[in-house]
Amino acid sequence: MRSHQGKCGYLRLDGYPSNELEQVSDSGIDKAFLKDQFPELIDLSGSHHASRSQQGDLLTLIELPQFQAPQHAGITGMDPRVKNQLEALQLHPDRYLHFGRDPELPNKDTLEFKKLEYFSLSLKASVWDPPSLNTLWFELVNGAYGDVYRAKALMNLPDGRSMFFNWIVSQESSQFLPLEEISAPNGRPASLSELVVQGKHLDGLRIQSTIDLCLLNDAVLEMHQMPLRDRQKEAIPST
Amino acid sequence: MNHAIISCLHANLPAAEAVLNDIDRQGIDTITCLGDLVGYGPQPNEVVELIRKRGIATCQGCWDEDIIDGLNACECSYPSQLAERRGHLAHQWTDDQLTDENKSFLASLPTSLRRDRLLFVHGSPNSQHEYLLPDMDAFAALERVETAGADILFCGHTHQPYVRELRDGSIRVRLQNADHGNDQGEELTLPMRKIVNAGSVGEPRHGSTNATYVIHNDATDEVEIKEVAYDVGRTCQAIVEAGLPKVFAWRLSHGFEFAEQAEDASHVCER
Repeated sequence: MRSHQGKCGYLRLDGYPSNELEQVSDSGIDKAFLKDQFPELIDLSGSHHASRSQQGDLLTLIELPQFQAPQHAGITGMDPRVKNQLEALQLHPDRYLHFGRDPELPNKDTLEFKKLEYFSLSLKASVWDPPSLNTLWFELVNGAYGDVYRAKALMNLPDGRSMFFNWIVSQESSQFLPLEEISAPNGRPASLSELVVQGKHLDGLRIQSTIDLCLLNDAVLEMHQMPLRDRQKEAIPST
Repeated sequence: MNHAIISCLHANLPAAEAVLNDIDRQGIDTITCLGDLVGYGPQPNEVVELIRKRGIATCQGCWDEDIIDGLNACECSYPSQLAERRGHLAHQWTDDQLTDENKSFLASLPTSLRRDRLLFVHGSPNSQHEYLLPDMDAFAALERVETAGADILFCGHTHQPYVRELRDGSIRVRLQNADHGNDQGEELTLPMRKIVNAGSVGEPRHGSTNATYVIHNDATDEVEIKEVAYDVGRTCQAIVEAGLPKVFAWRLSHGFEFAEQAEDASHVCER
């Protein structure tokens, strides 16, 4: 997408549950992250946008959650149900990128998941104590609240930054990416903030109660933001 | 003669029993405890009573002090809001559980113990709360031992066992004397000193779940760091049954501390 000269679009399709593997409903994390990286990104999720996908120079990234790789490589291996979804949106894919599994991951996961449940939590307007976030994420992906297959989040930090957190079982470490957009140091941020976890025996109540211990209250947030505002004032030359 | 040094039992009775059994098997009858009998773990009364029953010479740790005097932490106590809130929760639980008699015992403990040229403290000679981390600035480390008038300083608090020898040090002082128009210089050669950290019996932090303690031979000055396996599952079960946060059991069973601690080797405790 970075090298594409024309416009870019993004479409996330709903996946299909497989046996006892439960699909996560779309939290909007991927879209928010891509939108931050490509501010001109066209969201094709609404059917009213479908006609825009016909523009000749539009590169559309289509994301589909799936548990197993298709039986055949390329476009021909695509699930017919997905084809139908795309045709309804007048989209005719010409390239199959990948199943979604990074090549460095082992074929067999370090934990076996025959049944998947998921936990999600809106963290809108929440701001984290950074070292506490570090501890929570470490405990979460290492199994303190149940075995985690996949965890993804957008989290707000007190300096206005927002971070994308991404982890999958068998991966040696998490991916942490800062978003480009930085919120002004004036109260609570309005940007999307969500946590989504897939796994088994997930203890949502304990995840939630630990998160409650990690989030900043208004007074502490103000202690972080006041010096940032002061620095911003100093940086503006007086007229 | 060999003597044993134990530290940071943290209300973990199976670990304390296993370590004392290991010491007994070696025929060592002089044991010094560097405090933190309580805190985080599920058996505060049982551990205090075991130490009292055995008549083990003990100095006061930071948790023992906090239970008596209340929380008044310096920033080095908790590196995160989460750690602080978990610490406060564990403090309140321990305070509720401990009998008055056992609290009186903790209050009676000295902040340091001395035997000839050996000094025993929980954190540092300055404070039960100060961390003498293994990578602490060498001059500051030497200052702690030297000003306390000890050859060997035994401490705990970091939960990481280590032996640090401070040798081959010198300080050169040059004074510019304007009246006489010449430099006056003096070089001081610093004597060899040693810091021995006993690690932790009840909350180890050295990459394994094994409890640690130290054996010192006061004739040869040899130091041996000992590791002892114990029934971690029994302690974890007791944590859950006591109603303490389950994450304490998870952390202990993976060789992590109950709540992480500050690691700034340059920090000087301001408490």
